[in-house]
Amino acid sequence: MSIDWITVAAQILNFLVLVWLLKRFLYRPILDGIDAREKEIAERMGEAARIRAVAEAAEADYQAQVASLRAGREGTLEAARKAAEAERDALLAEARERLAREQAERAVQRVEEARRYRAELQRDGAAALLSLTRKALKDLADETLEARIVAHASDRLAAMADDLRKAAGDSLQAIALTHEPLSQAARERLGNELAQLIPGITVTFRSEPAQAPGLVLRLGGAQVEWTVDSYIDGLDALLAAADHQRARPRG
Amino acid sequence: MQLSPDQAILFTLGGIPINATIGYTWIVMALLTGTSMLLTRSLRPDVPPSRWRTTLEVIVQGIQGQIDEISVRRDRRLLYFTGTLFLFIVTSNLLMVVPGFRPPTASLSTTAALALSVLVAVPIFGIGNQGLGGYLRTWIQPSVIMLPFNIIGEFSRGISLAIRLYGNIMSGAVIAGILLGVAPFFFPVVMDMLGLLTGLIQAYIFAILATVYISSATAPPSDIPQTKKDAS
Repeated sequence: MSIDWITVAAQILNFLVLVWLLKRFLYRPILDGIDAREKEIAERMGEAARIRAVAEAAEADYQAQVASLRAGREGTLEAARKAAEAERDALLAEARERLAREQAERAVQRVEEARRYRAELQRDGAAALLSLTRKALKDLADETLEARIVAHASDRLAAMADDLRKAAGDSLQAIALTHEPLSQAARERLGNELAQLIPGITVTFRSEPAQAPGLVLRLGGAQVEWTVDSYIDGLDALLAAADHQRARPRG
Repeated sequence: MQLSPDQAILFTLGGIPINATIGYTWIVMALLTGTSMLLTRSLRPDVPPSRWRTTLEVIVQGIQGQIDEISVRRDRRLLYFTGTLFLFIVTSNLLMVVPGFRPPTASLSTTAALALSVLVAVPIFGIGNQGLGGYLRTWIQPSVIMLPFNIIGEFSRGISLAIRLYGNIMSGAVIAGILLGVAPFFFPVVMDMLGLLTGLIQAYIFAILATVYISSATAPPSDIPQTKKDAS
């Protein structure tokens, strides 16, 4: 057993070289790797903590929103109820207004229909009255209504002679309008009567269906009528009185 | 029978004879360095560690943990030094089971070299951490009267380290050789298994004692750990 000092020196040198080699190829890579991994883990944990904080903040915000919604639900329902009532009142008011408007329109329509009905009734009544009058005159006196009116007008012309002359002035043209054409005898009688009152006058006879039954005599600027319009107006007054009496409540 | 591998010349390099101690030391160095380079060549932090890398990390962190238990402050230079001591000794001792391999630690020259390295490392680490004055003051603690005893204790630590490691490893190899002659089929196997265990323990003890010595020199007297481990 002995110590070889050269070997000792060589082994010291070998050991120092080995220290350097292991430091270069073992310790430093391993420790650096561990440090890097620890740093990465720390960073990831920090990131996880940050994300967790964000998530917790979001959860707290969400919880606050839920609580706020729960707290405001009653208020929202009350507001919705009031809005619904206001909407209902508005719809009812609109319906009432529409109903009143329709009632007013119907009332106007009823008035108009009554007016039309009355006018129609008046027209039909006048036609019936004239027809009955014509038939009565024909059956009882063998005369037409127009001939009878012309006869009556001819009798009255003498009393109106001064007025007629004044109305005729210088004009010698007269127009006789009737509902139906006059008979030749009636024409001659009327022409003769007018010729006696105003010598040289020429009478033109015309018939118009729109003309009320009777005689309209136009002379210069004057016009003299012997028609049944006044009687028909009397018939209208009679019908109105009958309606008024029928509509009156029975006591 | 050659008790020391120093006497066995393996080859000559440029006229310089290379004995078995140095030759097998180079083999251990090449094995350790090669394995380290192989396992750490593609080491990246973003790649999950492989099984071998994890093994290396466990070994390195285990050594670091042992140092942290003894040393007051964490010093990576201490890891490089005592870790290399441990890995070199344990690898040499474990390779004892390889037929024909003569562990360098069975040479008194090697153990003396390692003990001398520790002996020199203690003041270097102490001066590096406390400064020259701070380190020299530890020699006169607790009083100036203790200066010769501290000097004797400092050198005796190196001698005891060297003799302990050498004696254990060399005796294991000698006993295995003797038993090989007596009972060639059974006892050598048992002794080799015992030698593996002894080699592992000796490597651990050598590295721990070196750490304790260096830590006691680097830390202030009040911070010196009270743990004293001795395997004698």
